[in-house]
Amino acid sequence: MKVVTGVVGNDIHVVANRLIDISLQARGFEVFNLGVNTSLEEFIDAVVETDADILLISSLNGEAEGWCRDLQFLRSEYNLKEVIFVIGGNLAVGEAAQSDIVPKYKSYGFDLVFHQIDLNTGLDEIERFVKERV
Amino acid sequence: MSKLLIDVGSTYFKVCQTSGISQYFRDFKKDIYDDLVTKCGNIFANYQKEDIFICSSANGGLSTLIIGLTNSFSLKFAKNIAFNSGINIIDTILYSKIEESRAPSELVDVVIIVGGIDGIGGVFDEKLFDYLKNVQYSNIVYVGTKQDVSFLSAHIPELKVLGNIITEKLHVNGGELKEYLTNLYQADIVGKEDIKHLYEITANQIYSTPYIVNRSLPLIDANFEVVNPFIVVDIGGATTDIHYSRDLVRDNIVSESGYDRLVFKKLGVFKSRETLIFAAKNNEFVYELLAYLNVTENILEEESEKSLRILMQLSIFLVLYKVSRLHPLYVTLHLELLNTIVLTGGITKVLSYEEVEMIIEFFYKKVMNLHAIPNIVMDSDYAIWTLGMENNENSAS
Ligand code: B12
Repeated sequence: MKVVTGVVGNDIHVVANRLIDISLQARGFEVFNLGVNTSLEEFIDAVVETDADILLISSLNGEAEGWCRDLQFLRSEYNLKEVIFVIGGNLAVGEAAQSDIVPKYKSYGFDLVFHQIDLNTGLDEIERFVKERV
Repeated sequence: MSKLLIDVGSTYFKVCQTSGISQYFRDFKKDIYDDLVTKCGNIFANYQKEDIFICSSANGGLSTLIIGLTNSFSLKFAKNIAFNSGINIIDTILYSKIEESRAPSELVDVVIIVGGIDGIGGVFDEKLFDYLKNVQYSNIVYVGTKQDVSFLSAHIPELKVLGNIITEKLHVNGGELKEYLTNLYQADIVGKEDIKHLYEITANQIYSTPYIVNRSLPLIDANFEVVNPFIVVDIGGATTDIHYSRDLVRDNIVSESGYDRLVFKKLGVFKSRETLIFAAKNNEFVYELLAYLNVTENILEEESEKSLRILMQLSIFLVLYKVSRLHPLYVTLHLELLNTIVLTGGITKVLSYEEVEMIIEFFYKKVMNLHAIPNIVMDSDYAIWTLGMENNENSAS
């Protein structure tokens, strides 16, 4: 399975991004890592060029919300219904409750949302989600 | 053994002998060969065919239309490669919007189609063929996913297929396409019937002038007061070329050569005067600029020495503007890092150093918000071209 990943917006926190790349590969995914500082359009374009199955965005500095509102629009532009959209990291500025964050990002069009969730827990859940879909 | 070097431009011939350089205004009623022989026939008589070297930029510049799958990869990569091969991009089409896109009205020299990494198929479909039915083109090249090659080849006659410019890691691999486009450009210039005729004068390969200039760039600092990074602006009668150090670009695209070039097909002061004026009038700075030069808009319509000077100044401004960050369509050069601007071509024969300085000062102040300007070097005796010709000939033999 192909996964496009990277860190959205003006976010330069790179450590998690490297870990995600390595962990996904270890789990047998084919990874296209766009690195830090990636715009939403670049993510979508990479999914289109690679015909990826999963888009896994991470955001650490708290700016994700501003960048992700256009997701629905871009998603419909290219007719990407089959692609699984995932976001994780620090999805708010400062303290925020999971119960607020998760529905909000789902309304933007994400299938799975991991606010301050450990990476491996998140990846386990992604694999489960994929299996259920098939 | 002395050599004779000839440059065929769209406006002038330049002829270089050991004794110096002379230039002749072209007679457009004659074809190039007749015109050249009429003007310089007696000079040719003193040289062997082996010692005569010709390059040409007459009617130079190819145009391309790029059709790509996404903005961030297909189109971005192809645009970059095309620019760096000196090709003019007349339009880009995002494949998802192809049904609503209009075909260009003019003849396109080369259509580039690109999309997808190798391994994915079915990127292109009937929509592409429907669109292409309305496009007039001379060449068409495919540089996308391998899986679509046989399908596209079956439907597009004469389709040239090259390696995918998008690698398996979504990076750019421009080598093959760049070589193809550069050759096409070269073939276009030297393959024109007019130019072919010139082999009666020379026994050597005829090259395109931009190629020759590009070859001299690594040697420039030894011959001029030039400090890297620099650009060379060659404003001609029909086209304007800009050659630049790669240090001025931050596009994370790796290139083999330290210098790239861009050609602006319709920014010349004679043959493409109308489009130059059009571009000038549509520029947001033009009125301020004309006021700064102490003239009014009417000057552009005049046929005078003064008007020519103003047009030349405008073309310097427009070229810099087009590579600045205000004009994201073209490659963006970091002009704030620029140390030297070298001007060459016919314009150095007309404009004074002060006139050039004036316009560059205006550009840096208005567009860049900088008071200091780069060092200006005027190559008024075509030394760059001579250097490139001699160097080319040495490395060829
Ligand atoms: C190192 C660091 C920096 C370095 C980054 C160096 C670099 N190039 O990577 C520097 C100093 C440059 C920096 C700058 C800033 N930082 Co900082 N930084 C940190 C710090 C200390 C560690 C980050 C790190 O690398 N952790 C190690 C990795 C492995 O962990 P992680 O990033 O948390 O990722 C894990 C999880 O989040 C998760 N995860 C991540 N993505 C995803 C995706 C999915 C799908 C899943 C399932 C899981 C997942 O998995 C990872 C592994 O478990 C954190 C605080 C902290 N202790 O976490 C702050 C922190 C991330 N930074 C923060 C801020 C605010 C900034 C700045 C805005 C500060 C400023 N005012 O200038 C700038 C922003 C710069 C920018 N443009 O992005 C805040 C973000 C706050 C928020 N979101 O509310 C934090 C949390 C500090 C804080 N408590 O305030 N920072």
